[in-house]
Amino acid sequence: MLFKLSLTGIKSRFKDYLVLFSGLVMAAAIFYMFETLATNHSFIKANSTLALAPFIFQFGSILLAIITFVYILYANSFLLSMRKRDYGLFMMLGAKSGKLGQLIFIETLAIGVLSLLMGVIVGIGLTTLVGQLLIQRLDATALHFSAFYGPALVVTVLFFLVLFIVAALMNQRVLRKTPVLALLKSTAQPAHVQVRPAKTVSQVIFGLVSLAIGYVAMHQIGTLQMLGIAIALVTIVVGTYLVFNSLFTWLLTRLKRHTAFASRGLNNFTLAQLNFRIFDYNRMLALVTLLFALALGAITTGMGFQKNIKLFTESAPYDVVLHDPTASIKQAATKIDIKKQNHYMYKVGANTVYFSRDQFDQQPVYVQKPWRKNQTTTKYQLTYGREMNQQNPLLWQQSLQELLLPRDSQKTIKLVDQATFAQTSGRTQQLTTIVARDFFAELPTIKRVTQLDQRHNKVATSYDMGSTKYDAYQMMNGLLSGFEFMGFFLGVAFLAMLASCLMFKILSGAASDRTRYRMLDKIGTRQRLLRGAIAKEIGVLFLLPGVVGVIHVLFGLQMFTTTGLLPHAYHDLWLPFLIFLVLYSLYYLLTVKLYQNIVLKK
Amino acid sequence: MIAKAPIVAVDAVRKVYGQANEQQYEALHDVSFQVQAGEFVGIMGASGSGKTTLLNILSTLDQPTSGSVKINQQEITQLRGNQLADFRAKEIGFIFQDFNLLENMTAYENIALPLSLQNVSAKKARPLIEKIAVTLGIDKILNKYPTEISGGQKQRVAAARALVHEPSILMGDEPTGALDSKSAKSLLDTMTTLNQQQQVSILLVTHDPFSASYCQRILFIKDGQIGQELKRGDRSKAAFYQDILGVLGRTEQ
Repeated sequence: MLFKLSLTGIKSRFKDYLVLFSGLVMAAAIFYMFETLATNHSFIKANSTLALAPFIFQFGSILLAIITFVYILYANSFLLSMRKRDYGLFMMLGAKSGKLGQLIFIETLAIGVLSLLMGVIVGIGLTTLVGQLLIQRLDATALHFSAFYGPALVVTVLFFLVLFIVAALMNQRVLRKTPVLALLKSTAQPAHVQVRPAKTVSQVIFGLVSLAIGYVAMHQIGTLQMLGIAIALVTIVVGTYLVFNSLFTWLLTRLKRHTAFASRGLNNFTLAQLNFRIFDYNRMLALVTLLFALALGAITTGMGFQKNIKLFTESAPYDVVLHDPTASIKQAATKIDIKKQNHYMYKVGANTVYFSRDQFDQQPVYVQKPWRKNQTTTKYQLTYGREMNQQNPLLWQQSLQELLLPRDSQKTIKLVDQATFAQTSGRTQQLTTIVARDFFAELPTIKRVTQLDQRHNKVATSYDMGSTKYDAYQMMNGLLSGFEFMGFFLGVAFLAMLASCLMFKILSGAASDRTRYRMLDKIGTRQRLLRGAIAKEIGVLFLLPGVVGVIHVLFGLQMFTTTGLLPHAYHDLWLPFLIFLVLYSLYYLLTVKLYQNIVLKK
Repeated sequence: MIAKAPIVAVDAVRKVYGQANEQQYEALHDVSFQVQAGEFVGIMGASGSGKTTLLNILSTLDQPTSGSVKINQQEITQLRGNQLADFRAKEIGFIFQDFNLLENMTAYENIALPLSLQNVSAKKARPLIEKIAVTLGIDKILNKYPTEISGGQKQRVAAARALVHEPSILMGDEPTGALDSKSAKSLLDTMTTLNQQQQVSILLVTHDPFSASYCQRILFIKDGQIGQELKRGDRSKAAFYQDILGVLGRTEQ
């Protein structure tokens, strides 16, 4: 009978359960999504040359587990708050608390298992979608990547089962210990925060020190190795929470005391709203900050690797080099949007390749500059034939060798005058160098022409030691696109988790906010003011984690610069940040609109 | 004595629920009455008589199907959007049966709300709030949250919030409905004092004869129409109470 009653209770609050359910499904799905990479050791080994990578992923798993744990606790308290009244009522009607404890245990577990099931299915779908999309868009090679991955499935299922059993036990305990009256009236209990200055100050100091330790640990990753990541993980999680717990509470109290601010419009109401849920909010802010930092960090590094590929690709002077092109290859090459095209003649001897010097006076060729300190890519300059004997012969020799076919590239280059060139025995061969207007825009055509040239000259396709942009691109893409893939993939996953977290928090508070806003409407508050109050309240939830998250990322990138993985991690940072901020702001606007519609609808 | 314009003038108000092609239900049928400035008027009726509909229209929460309602000589049926909100904020004080206080704000902050909506500075607001708090006897509990005070105190806080900006009229929807008899009596006494000493116009909707006996004039509403009017005149409250019971007894039969 009681079971039936509690079922009708669920039915009557179906919408709230839907919110809870979708939140849990998203959490499970994203956890699975992450684990498909983290538990897939062959993928990590195949795609990163970094020995630390498996450990980074392990720590990432732990961090996500912590975040998920807090998230589940939060969802669970939402579930409990929904049920407290019902169960209090049952108790008043004479139900035994032991029986009710059993019921809430079963209910929590049932919801958990159901959402876990759905979550895994959604997770597999999401992983497939994001994975395929990224591989296509990035032209990435994600070796051994598979959306359906057994170990990830096992880890996800076990982790969530344990979490839900813990949550169910906790609910059972709470229900048994709480007096009936408190259960019945639990919704109307505001949290009064006593701000004790000594506690606040010590929390601020401890929090900031924790953060500082974490930042230093990330900077010293080269020497600390695994330990550095472990330290950073703990101190940054703790530090973030403490800073919000102390600073945010303090800030609210300060603003409340600032009567000129508080007494304007609905400011006092907004402050009261924030104050009312401060414990939830502090946890939430810390959670969202970490997710924000992870998502932004992942996308920034992903873009960093993408930039690295671009940088190396574009350092090569020529897009395509053709050797003795046939008419059909020439025809194919005209499809490229050519900026500059040169033709050179050469003859191949037994150990020597002959070029006429004059042709380089008419059409200078790109020759490497001497390597300087702190240089990451080779630099080239246009060089005339008459300059080629004055400077270091190795440089122009090597540059010309790289333009030749592999079978000729080990031979010595000799520059001779026109007459000598004519008398030299051997077939005259043509070398065509092409500079395209935009390599990445022309990539498919360039790829086709290069392959035609390779086939025509019987060059093994696995050969990638050439000097064209396409060669460089092939090499760097093979080396780094795995990282790039990971970065974007995880960025998307964390962003989705962040969105789900915020959405959940906001929707779970909507029901009780409705009555408050309704009342404000009744006493004559303008609609604009009501909308503004909502925008402000949610804005705080978005803004604070954003600011702290950006700081985390700025320090976190140290890990990549000091290890040399991304030497230019701080260059052009504005681009990934801008992209991320635009996404984040769009999400903010969407949330505000949604909330306004839910809360202010008549 | 010069006839002053009434503070509330309701003229031929009809309210029909349901679309034209559906089954319709007429909640108010041609209701007209007036409340003069400084009057304490009660509207009595059983459940379903239409009194809540009438109050919702008077407090601009709902619109009549036809007819006119003027409060402080302003036609309110045509107000929309911001005008409507501003009108509510300035002209009407409302006390609800279930208090409708914001439980996340202290009593003081709750009372201050209507003032801050009109951007009255904190400095100017404080004496106003303190004055009304003293009048209503809640000056000792201003820093407490609604969950920490009794039902009677909550309703006094709600009354203070409804009065702090000196509205044209105070409307109460069963304000004593959720109170014990002692708190109810004390609240009604306070309202009488406010009415007599500060000339606050009060419109009280109730089904409770005891609450109604505090009024100077009672309009009985039945099946969406105003049936009878009863004036207290110089009678004692107890005598008036008996009269009300008499009217109720007759109309119930």
